[in-house]
Amino acid sequence: MPKNGMLVRITLVVAAVAILAAVAVGTAGASHKARSATAIKGAGSSFVAPLVNAWINPVSSIGISLSYNPIGSGGGVSAITTKGVDFGASDAPLSQFSPTCTTCVQIPWALAATAVVYNLPGLPFLKMNGSTLANIYLGKIKNWNDPAIKKLNSGRNLPDKAITVVHRSDSSGTTFNFTDYLSSVSKTWKSQVGNGTAVSWPTGIGGNKSAGMSAAVKSTPGAIGYVDVDYAVVNHLGYMKMRNRTGKFVVPRLKGILAAAQLQTHPAKDGSLSIVNPPKSKKYANAYPIATYTYVDVQKASGANAAALKKLIGWAITKGQTYGPKLFFAPLPKPVVTFDKKQIQKIHS
Amino acid sequence: MSAAELTPLQRPTDRLRRRKAVNRGMEFLAWLSAAVAVAALGIVVFSVARRGASALSFDFLTKTQVPYDPTAKQGLANAFVGTFVIVGLATLMALPFGILIAIYVNEFAPRMIRNGISFVLDVLNGVPAIVIGFFVFGLIVVAHGQSGLAGAFALAVLMLPLVARTTMEVLALVPNSLREAALGVGSPRWRMTLGIVLPQTIGGVLTGATLAVARVAGETAPLLFTSSLVAYNTSFNPAHPLQTVPVAIFELSESPDPTDHARAWAAAFVLLMFILFASLGARWLATRSRRKLGRAAR
Amino acid sequence: MHLGDVLLQGAAALASLGAVALVVLIVYKVVEGARLSLSTFGLGFVTHVGWDPVHLKFGAGSFLFGTAITSLGALILATPLAIGIALFLTELAPAGIRGPVTALVETLAAIPSVVIGLWGILVLAPLLRDHVDPALHSALGFIPLFGPATYSANVFTAIIVLTIMILPIISSISRELFLGVPSELKEGALGLGTTRWEMVRGVVFPYTRGGVAAAMILGLGRALGEAIAVAMVIGAFTGISWNLFNPGNTLAAMIALNYQGASSGLELSSLIYLALILLVFSILVNLLAQLIVRRVARRQGLAST
Repeated sequence: MPKNGMLVRITLVVAAVAILAAVAVGTAGASHKARSATAIKGAGSSFVAPLVNAWINPVSSIGISLSYNPIGSGGGVSAITTKGVDFGASDAPLSQFSPTCTTCVQIPWALAATAVVYNLPGLPFLKMNGSTLANIYLGKIKNWNDPAIKKLNSGRNLPDKAITVVHRSDSSGTTFNFTDYLSSVSKTWKSQVGNGTAVSWPTGIGGNKSAGMSAAVKSTPGAIGYVDVDYAVVNHLGYMKMRNRTGKFVVPRLKGILAAAQLQTHPAKDGSLSIVNPPKSKKYANAYPIATYTYVDVQKASGANAAALKKLIGWAITKGQTYGPKLFFAPLPKPVVTFDKKQIQKIHS
Repeated sequence: MSAAELTPLQRPTDRLRRRKAVNRGMEFLAWLSAAVAVAALGIVVFSVARRGASALSFDFLTKTQVPYDPTAKQGLANAFVGTFVIVGLATLMALPFGILIAIYVNEFAPRMIRNGISFVLDVLNGVPAIVIGFFVFGLIVVAHGQSGLAGAFALAVLMLPLVARTTMEVLALVPNSLREAALGVGSPRWRMTLGIVLPQTIGGVLTGATLAVARVAGETAPLLFTSSLVAYNTSFNPAHPLQTVPVAIFELSESPDPTDHARAWAAAFVLLMFILFASLGARWLATRSRRKLGRAAR
Repeated sequence: MHLGDVLLQGAAALASLGAVALVVLIVYKVVEGARLSLSTFGLGFVTHVGWDPVHLKFGAGSFLFGTAITSLGALILATPLAIGIALFLTELAPAGIRGPVTALVETLAAIPSVVIGLWGILVLAPLLRDHVDPALHSALGFIPLFGPATYSANVFTAIIVLTIMILPIISSISRELFLGVPSELKEGALGLGTTRWEMVRGVVFPYTRGGVAAAMILGLGRALGEAIAVAMVIGAFTGISWNLFNPGNTLAAMIALNYQGASSGLELSSLIYLALILLVFSILVNLLAQLIVRRVARRQGLAST
């Protein structure tokens, strides 16, 4: 009996040491790179996550070890307000949250669109307009072969299939963008539900963060949802051509985003911009109606990491924008970059 | 057997045949229930093993997460290290605390206080993990931010009732004759408790600790509140939030990317194997210590 | 009195006091966090259905409904199964498989909720959506519980997941109780010529009735508090629907999914109000189970005198 006990104890110790050794070897390899860089931690919008993650490798060469948690815009604002992270990212302006970060500076650092995604294999690029979309999300239109949808897509073979509405279950800037649009195209939506980062959804199931939204639509035939266009493309989700006020059906790509961005070229004093549903005009003929800026929020007094943060954001709004187009983020217009550079100066240690 | 020896219930009638049929039906249902339970377990474990096997690799165990980069070689080393550190710290916090409580209840406390504390421990055991997570969030995270330590504290609160209760049970098993003998030769109470009674219970205490570790290694909810805003490098430093296996599984499960799902299955497989080994280990320790105490009583 | 004795007793007493303080602190923290919502909505919060962060009107109604329907559904499915397993292990199993099957059922309890949730969302949910739900709807669709089935993340999936999770608790406690029935009583009944089932129904069940009730209540408590596995499969829908194949939400799942990014102080406080309701229920359920156990022990203590 004693011999058995010893054997077991020795085996356990050897196993534990072996595991630790393996992990230490793996760790050593990883930490070598990071040792000389400043660690900057951010959290927030899952909408902008693909772009921020594309920045992780390039910024290591300017001495920044970047890590990002896509917990949703609400989570990001909450995290930077309580100083749990170095920066928060949100697609909704700080004024939308309460409590919010009153000691933060808000900097628009990327520009993209919310795609309306759906799961109907074999029916790419369906056409949709605002009022029909609002009625779907209000629960008034329940089937894909509803006359309102058929009217927009004459000649397409729409199936007799129930529409599974998917929305975000967390506090989301993408939701803010989407409900902002629905409120401007549907009086019923505006009065019944309204506009916000989280609303009282009349129908549908909830997906957690952009990843959860994409997963829900991808795995449910007949589902409809809304998510940053990069997620749609990467996950091979069909997305709709939205009718803008000029009458054209536009896809959520760079051309449509840049056309919409003309609606407001100079940020407001707090840094926010609204480019949703541009009015009928030749200028906005090619505009995609559900485009949005997304912001980085940084404490004005950022302590030891202030210099690295300024370097990071300065890089993001200039060099960083070149990583955008591949991920369907349009480059920031010049007046916005000028404004941003002034905002960055407000960050100090 | 002649007709006179049969009881009224045994007389062969139609009614008896019906009753026997009902009995057979019920026995069948009982067999079926057991089969369903075993099948459920088999299906879950088999699913986890089969789907996890494809993503299980040396890289998986030693490299850390690289989010949104499908070409990078990545794994969940950061989560394994984080779970090891946080569960380890939680055990270090809960074990002495739980043992002291058990000692007080068993060796010192008057009856009413004993019942009171057992009651409190039962209440603590019934508090849902998510409420405990929120409690530690309000207590520590709001003021000091997330950290591995906060996560460890939340897990320790979950482990405490288990450790205390099993230690109490084993202490109660130690025969009073042993205590009286020690006191009889003039040993002070504290030395009797710590030096003679407690060592007898090491097996039981370890069992309780192992069971508690198996219970909290898979807990997700408290860690979401206390250690979820993580940097993706592998770190042993509990002052910062550390990635953990259950939280990693939870996050990866929400992804639309099938390679993320495969990694979630592999992590689930490793976690499940660890917990099964810990549970079996605890059971083996329990039988061993019971045998030892049985011998000591003789 | 040795110094060592004083130190040990002091430390041990302090630790015990600490445990009591911990419980008090937990209740205090939760009440404190919920105070804003408590003062804004009062008790009406408990019945109000809807969660509107834009108009700042929150209520626990839909989550209480969801918690009730999922926990009770799981209890209804798990209890007969658990009792069946316990009976199998105490009355029917051949000696060789008794041990392994007991160990296997207890292993089911060891599977972490996140793993069951993972299996639930990636394996069980699509399976139910494609094969089981529509079949149940066409067979039993006249009952409102089995309405149209289009969602994969729904209340029914959550009920199945919870059933798997609470099954081992009820079955292992029942097994211990059935083992404790005095064999003279059982053999007496069998000697009179009852079938095994009649013996169980007439002797074992009445004898263990209280304990099994306590086991069911403990299982219910576990189901009430389960956040992660349910959050992964239930579809996060706020509202009241009797159709099991529609998505839903529970108190615990709602807290898990939303605490991170509550857009207002009132919303965060309302989430904590949900946690308070959950805490109160869990404590009540726990107390009820203990009360029953105590009453049963007393009755059995009297019976043996």
